[in-house]
Amino acid sequence: MKIKEKSSVTLLILLALTIVGLFLANKFLDSYKIRIITLSGIYITLGLSMNLINGFTGMFSLGHAGFMAIGAYTVGILTMPIPMKEMNFFMQPIAPFLANVEWGFLPALLAAGIIAGLAGFVIGAPVLRLTDDYLAIATLGFAEIIRVVFTNTQSLTNGALGLKGIPNYTNIWWSWGIAFVTIWFMTVLMKGSYGKAFLAIREDEVAARSMGINLFKHKVMSFSFGSFFAGVAGGLLAALLGTIDPNMFRISLTFNILLIVVLGGLGNIVGTAVSALVVTIMMEALRFLDESINLGFIQLKGIPGMRMVVFSVILIAVVLIRREGALRKAKRV
Amino acid sequence: MKRTLGLLLLVLVLTLAPQVGYADEVIKIGVFEPMTGANAAGGEMTVEGIELALEIKGEVLGRKVEIIVVDNKSDKVESANAVSRLIEKDKVVAIIGSYGSSLSMAAGDIVKKAEVPAVGCSPTNPLVTLNNDYYFRVCFIDPFQGTVMARYAVNELGAKTAAVIQDVTQDYSVGLSKYFIDAFRELTGDKNSIVELSSYNTGDQDFTAQLTNVKNKKPDIIFAPGNYGESALLIRQARDLGIDVPFLGGDTWEAPEFLSIGGDAVEGAVFSTHFTAEAPVTSESGVFLAAYRNKFGKEANAFAALGYDAYMLILDVMEKAGSADSQAIRDGLAEVKGFVGATGVINLDENGDAVKSAVINKVDGGKFIYLTTVEPD
Repeated sequence: MKIKEKSSVTLLILLALTIVGLFLANKFLDSYKIRIITLSGIYITLGLSMNLINGFTGMFSLGHAGFMAIGAYTVGILTMPIPMKEMNFFMQPIAPFLANVEWGFLPALLAAGIIAGLAGFVIGAPVLRLTDDYLAIATLGFAEIIRVVFTNTQSLTNGALGLKGIPNYTNIWWSWGIAFVTIWFMTVLMKGSYGKAFLAIREDEVAARSMGINLFKHKVMSFSFGSFFAGVAGGLLAALLGTIDPNMFRISLTFNILLIVVLGGLGNIVGTAVSALVVTIMMEALRFLDESINLGFIQLKGIPGMRMVVFSVILIAVVLIRREGALRKAKRV
Repeated sequence: MKRTLGLLLLVLVLTLAPQVGYADEVIKIGVFEPMTGANAAGGEMTVEGIELALEIKGEVLGRKVEIIVVDNKSDKVESANAVSRLIEKDKVVAIIGSYGSSLSMAAGDIVKKAEVPAVGCSPTNPLVTLNNDYYFRVCFIDPFQGTVMARYAVNELGAKTAAVIQDVTQDYSVGLSKYFIDAFRELTGDKNSIVELSSYNTGDQDFTAQLTNVKNKKPDIIFAPGNYGESALLIRQARDLGIDVPFLGGDTWEAPEFLSIGGDAVEGAVFSTHFTAEAPVTSESGVFLAAYRNKFGKEANAFAALGYDAYMLILDVMEKAGSADSQAIRDGLAEVKGFVGATGVINLDENGDAVKSAVINKVDGGKFIYLTTVEPD
């Protein structure tokens, strides 16, 4: 009991410190650095949502970009001012039932999460019978289907032209607020009986089933929760950028998140959060590798893409040397 | 040890000193282009043009100009980050970029908020400059290009019916098709003059389904704007199926790969573009072409020319305004009239879009041959 109290006190102090840090950052840093910190918050949510599916429940899913696309488009279409909609849909008018809709950010985010979660449920129900590679291929296919559908539904999504002029609601507080909610939700979920069941399924499906765990129910639940948070994060991203198009949600986006999850350690909440922060900041901080470097006596010409090589090297190193993730204790959760 | 350290320090001071000396005199212009990822080829060509322009004219208002190139990885999120960095960290006064309309749109809100003007080289989607006082571009937009090709088809080729095959995943292809269709219907005065509208996706290899449909409708011409790779394959397959009507397309066809993939099949294909190396449109074109050949040892392409123009336009505006202040540059850009660039005479309209002539090229004998220039209305 005492240990529990102690750890929750440490957590509270950590939380307070982070909030003070964010407050100071928001006040004193320039908009570029604030943007990166805001983006980190979004990636924390994304990383954790993927971690729930891939790390805790052990389902190898690659459909994250699809759920993000659903969330991003929901927020984009629901929050966009009505005159802006007319401007955007100059090729083909927007579907009448969406033309006069203008929601606030919070309801739109919730809608994004719920629609993405429902999509997760609908996809999950048939697909989660598959395991391992087969599941990965099925979910990957699903993400591509979403992208192709969004490209072709001109009157709903404006097709390949994309949407522009989505209000920039996302700021440091929205993105980190949602990130904290996600961390809290994941912690509570994993402490409860559902979390234990997820872990049991990951370790051994047959054993879990013989202990009376309803495999199907738990898998679909984990998948839907993961999709919910992916949708919310997609919505945050749409409102951060102010513009989206279907080509944004390619498989490479999923791999970016997978990189964060693997580096942080599959099935590790704190690890994933820290790795999301570090990867996002490093992606920008390492930009100097792309540029030409002047050493005074010699001028090295920059090679675009050098900074990506660093991530590849780190990833290979982690997979070979510390498969449990760079930040994870050897013991599993 | 101490002496080596001292020497090192001296060297450091000496190498750093001159840079510090004129650091605040330098005018910084930011460039964000896709140097890696799916659009890398286009980004690279554009940056070549900008670097060439810097070499030719590296000074304005008695101050040195520096360009800072950042990679946006052909990714929207990265694109927004890159532009934000150029503004906040590098403190640039103006920005050039980017190849790809969606990448440019990601920067739109940021430049607007920071009040730093941006000049796009080749984003042709009308949405890029719409409702944004800080975004300009030196290329024409999709509506104009689509209209030009429709006019060419009706007036020069005497076409009465047309089929359109679009790449539904590419914004410019969809946009071009839409404006081609509108203009073609208007010019022919016949609502049914577009006999078929088919779609495919980027990356598709087999177009026989679409082409068989088109063949049955017997159009006079086929308008098929799309990436050079898919388009060249599509035309080859059309010829194999015995479709022998002319193919028309957009500026993306102007790539050596279009010729190498298409081979004999693409002979006679006609497309609109921004620029031709063959017939210099202005006196500036001649200067650019010669310098490009000199530096890179090959013929210039439209994207390099547009990059060159974007840079030269910003410098010209600075000169006229007598200031390198962001706001002054923006105000100057909003009033650009009759700027003589390598790709033609550029006027910027109230949206910040360039109103200028388009060039029509044809594939003949495995080369791009200049056909005609179409003036704007």
